[in-house]
Amino acid sequence: MQTGYILLATIAVPLLAAVALVLVPSRYPNVVRMIAVGTGFVLFGLSLYAFFAYQVSSGKDFQFELQWVWIENVGFLGDNGITLHLGIDGIGAPMVLLTGIVTFAGTLISNKIEYRNKDYFILLMLLVAGVFGVFCSLDMFFWFFFYELAVLPMYLLIGVWGSSSVFPTFSRTKEYSALKLTLVLVGASVPIFIGIFATFVESGLGTFDLPTLWAYAEQGGFDPNFQKIIFPLFMIGCGVLAGLWPFHTWSPDGHVAAPTAVSMLHAGVLMKLGAFGIIRLGMQLMPEGAEFWMPALITLGTINVIYGAISAMAQTDFKYMVGYSSVSHMGYVLMGLATLNPIGVNGAVLQMFSHGVMTALMFAMVGVLYDQAHTREMSLFGGLSQRMPRFAAFFAVAGLASLGLPGLSGFVAEFNVFVGTFQTYPALGALGVLGAAITAVYILRMFAVAFFGPANPRWDGLKDMSRFELAGGALLIAFILLMGVFPSPFVDRIAETVLRLPSVS
Amino acid sequence: MGMTDAWLLPLLPAGAFVVLLLFGPYLPRKGDWIAIGAMAATFGLVFPIIFDFTDELSRHGAEFAGVANSTQWLEVPGYLELRLGVHVDAITIVMLAVVTFVSLMVQVYSLAYMKGDSRYGWFYAVLSLFTASMLALVLADNFLLLYFAWELVGLCSYLLIGHYSHLRSAAEASKKAFITTRLGDVGLLIAIILLWRDTGTFNIQEIIAAAQAGTIRTEVLTASVVLLFLGAMGKSAQFPFHVWLPDAMEGPTPVSALIHAATMVVAGVYLVARTLPLFALVEGGQELVLAVGLLTTFMSAGMGLVMTDIKRVIAYSTINSLGLMFVALGVGAPGAAMLYLFTHAFFKALLFLGAGSVIHATDRQEVDQLGGLWSKMPITGVTFAVGALSMAGLPFLSGFWAKDEILHALLDNRGVFALTLLTLPVTAFYMTRVFVLTFLGEPKDPEAHAHAHESPLTMWVPLALLAGLTFVSGLIVFDQVGRALGFPGGIGEIIYAHEPEIFHFSVGNAIGSSLLVLLGLALAWYIYMLRPGTSAVAVRTFRPVYTLLVNKFYIDAVYQAIVDNVVLGVARMVAWFDRNVVNDTGVDGAGYTTKFAGYLLKYQQTGRLPNYALGIVVGVIALALVAFSIKG
Repeated sequence: MQTGYILLATIAVPLLAAVALVLVPSRYPNVVRMIAVGTGFVLFGLSLYAFFAYQVSSGKDFQFELQWVWIENVGFLGDNGITLHLGIDGIGAPMVLLTGIVTFAGTLISNKIEYRNKDYFILLMLLVAGVFGVFCSLDMFFWFFFYELAVLPMYLLIGVWGSSSVFPTFSRTKEYSALKLTLVLVGASVPIFIGIFATFVESGLGTFDLPTLWAYAEQGGFDPNFQKIIFPLFMIGCGVLAGLWPFHTWSPDGHVAAPTAVSMLHAGVLMKLGAFGIIRLGMQLMPEGAEFWMPALITLGTINVIYGAISAMAQTDFKYMVGYSSVSHMGYVLMGLATLNPIGVNGAVLQMFSHGVMTALMFAMVGVLYDQAHTREMSLFGGLSQRMPRFAAFFAVAGLASLGLPGLSGFVAEFNVFVGTFQTYPALGALGVLGAAITAVYILRMFAVAFFGPANPRWDGLKDMSRFELAGGALLIAFILLMGVFPSPFVDRIAETVLRLPSVS
Repeated sequence: MGMTDAWLLPLLPAGAFVVLLLFGPYLPRKGDWIAIGAMAATFGLVFPIIFDFTDELSRHGAEFAGVANSTQWLEVPGYLELRLGVHVDAITIVMLAVVTFVSLMVQVYSLAYMKGDSRYGWFYAVLSLFTASMLALVLADNFLLLYFAWELVGLCSYLLIGHYSHLRSAAEASKKAFITTRLGDVGLLIAIILLWRDTGTFNIQEIIAAAQAGTIRTEVLTASVVLLFLGAMGKSAQFPFHVWLPDAMEGPTPVSALIHAATMVVAGVYLVARTLPLFALVEGGQELVLAVGLLTTFMSAGMGLVMTDIKRVIAYSTINSLGLMFVALGVGAPGAAMLYLFTHAFFKALLFLGAGSVIHATDRQEVDQLGGLWSKMPITGVTFAVGALSMAGLPFLSGFWAKDEILHALLDNRGVFALTLLTLPVTAFYMTRVFVLTFLGEPKDPEAHAHAHESPLTMWVPLALLAGLTFVSGLIVFDQVGRALGFPGGIGEIIYAHEPEIFHFSVGNAIGSSLLVLLGLALAWYIYMLRPGTSAVAVRTFRPVYTLLVNKFYIDAVYQAIVDNVVLGVARMVAWFDRNVVNDTGVDGAGYTTKFAGYLLKYQQTGRLPNYALGIVVGVIALALVAFSIKG
């Protein structure tokens, strides 16, 4: 059964959960937890359904469609002026699934939150609703609305529940990181906003409906020069959220300062909104602009990969290392998109999913350790695998996925990105492969320093993962393995849609 | 069960891995019997495949190119198709036999050796995965699956080398192994993609056919071959990637046997043998293999002379042997290389398991603390001697046949031939040395000697079996032997399936090389057995050479310095740049600029009406001027 109500539910359920949480008195923290985990579970179920009920080669551009008119034929708005238009294609489907997985895992991991957990979960639910909204929206107005809804709760989530970092040479307060993250991302949405309005005006169709505008773009409706001016607005604006170098510094600081589940959601899912925006607004609306600007994007993407990996190598703090590793891995997404060939773009979308689950797992594991040890300095540990074997094993799976080990999700995605890049830019492709080797260096260095070697008696009291953490981690690992071993369910959906994209050939 | 069903082989141990991983802790004996059972079944299943192969071979003769079977894995319609498939031909058959048999021996041996280990079940799980990956590697009909398995082999070696993870040295050694080989793998992956770009396929046979048909551009083929070889050098521990292998003995000894004999290091030899037609098409391709192999042989022979750790000596002997195999490949004699690989697997596994038996009995592995074990551990002693002599190349042990076959292939290449001859006495010397110091002479550590005892049944039976094979496996080259065993075409054809190359035996070579081997042997016997003081004199006399060798030509130290200073130095610089320039100057700078602009502008908010009125008037006039100037 394919009905748009499924997608509507992914947005409505977290919003309703937020309302329900408002009504629960804060003296019942366990009720709050139950609602949060329950919502996570429902969202996971819904997204799983949406992914697997999505039919490959159905002949339709979008499935699970639903369109409710909000305003039309008023002033400058024509037919279908602004509508709540939901639907997913082969790119949206894995993204919805990703959001469901990470949300559920995140609520499980957040079980430990004690301080004002009601407010925490209310904000988290708003954020989740925003993310689902972006992945499902087929209307620029609502797309942007949900985009902002996803970004803004971060400020409070980091500022209130986050943690500050103090290093010998510098320090980052959580207030600073929260402020920087929010300002940079909101600032970056200004060009997106301008781009959206410029597109709306230029088309003269009086509608914000994306499929209508895409059809117009495909017929060559937008002047190539207009496209060349507007595309970079989308590329940079959305790119910032995807960690585009040199606008990436909000990401390591922000993710380090954020509480565990927020890091998981932000690095795992929100950064994908940026890449998703580049596809939806950039590549699909401005195919010729995309062609013109992609050499720039692929260069920046490659810088992301290498620069992020090298920076990660110098980190001594678990979470900073994971943060820079995200910058590096999002570079593969940008590289893949910028190839503009089906293999590369397919790889980029695969990488969006793959990076989402594996980075969520990494942040979850860092959280498991930090909650007990209250430090994230790698060199202070040692022999953790003896003390916390499950924790070490889970972290190892995430690390191995991130260094591109075959059999795990990262390999499938990166392999496609490499093949795609080699078709057009062999030198950059080679740098990309090298980036994966550098990843191996910093990941294995972390294992060697913190997990192996003699056990440090200072950490004798550390406990292995709780049941909730175990469940959340196992969920993420299941999908890392699924994509690594049976990539077809993902590739079939993604490739079909990618081959339809106007700028991809 | 025929050749097309060969895909089943890796799945059995892989299944054992999954079962042990999930249910191991709840199974009796942690499930070691599942791992060994799966391994034994796999070994058993190799035989029908060998028979099927020899049948086909006798039916089709040299035309028979192998059998393939594959299934789709993922597809971007019209652009990319990735398949998983198996291809069985002569090289595969040799590898299947070696991998399954040695793995089985190692697993049986580990029953006693690893008894009481805190991660016993996990050890068996990873052993199973190791074998499964290696089987997938040698069966792969395409480069993608090969790379897939190649990396899993790397992962398993990482996990097993680091098995004693509470030791800092094990953690470092496993990291070194993975990262060093991974650097080579960068080349391999790039080569695979480059070849795909020009041919549109990952299938190895199709790529070779395309290359021979000339559809791959010369520069692409050249680059691919060099990059491919980088991958092989990494896995097979060739200079300059050899540094990880001696350190890899931080793992439990059965793992060393597996890594050195059947899995991991022979993967590189296999890869080059498999793609040798590509090397032949590239100018200088084979010469590169030859040069690297020769250099590696020399260096490792030198280092093997001075090492005092019994496992380390054997480790350098492996590098020595691998170099020799590459030399054979470099002169276009894959048959000789595969024959050496085949026989080497048995005597090298034997040597490591023998060393393990010694370590198990004495808890020592420095030859300075061993000695006099012959009477205490007769089975280990005899079998170790067989292995060492075979490694030295003494007639008529298996190593002899293979070594002479390589020498024969080198006949056209006088210089290489002479240089290779030079290494023979060296190899014989250090193998004799390690045997004498371990088993003969006076016990250097009486306490260890007193506790020493022969190893239990599950350990000495594999030793005996491997020793037996060390005696006879070289006879594979004689067709009569194969026919007697019931293979219609003789088993020599398994190795020499499709090439003009056949087994040669030249009496002159055999006598000459044997004399050299005996010379090395006698010299070592004299120095270490008859005049035990001589070695110290030799060390004093050749102090600079000794220092150079004992410090492994300072290569490890140089690498370490590069990593510590250059690589990490650059990393710290980039991280500093990111924090101070990109973030604190760029991002925060934008923030402070905005703040400062606000600070300046706030003085315009005077709160006095006349000031505002003036502002309005000036503004209107300015706008009007602009409007007029634009209009006309």
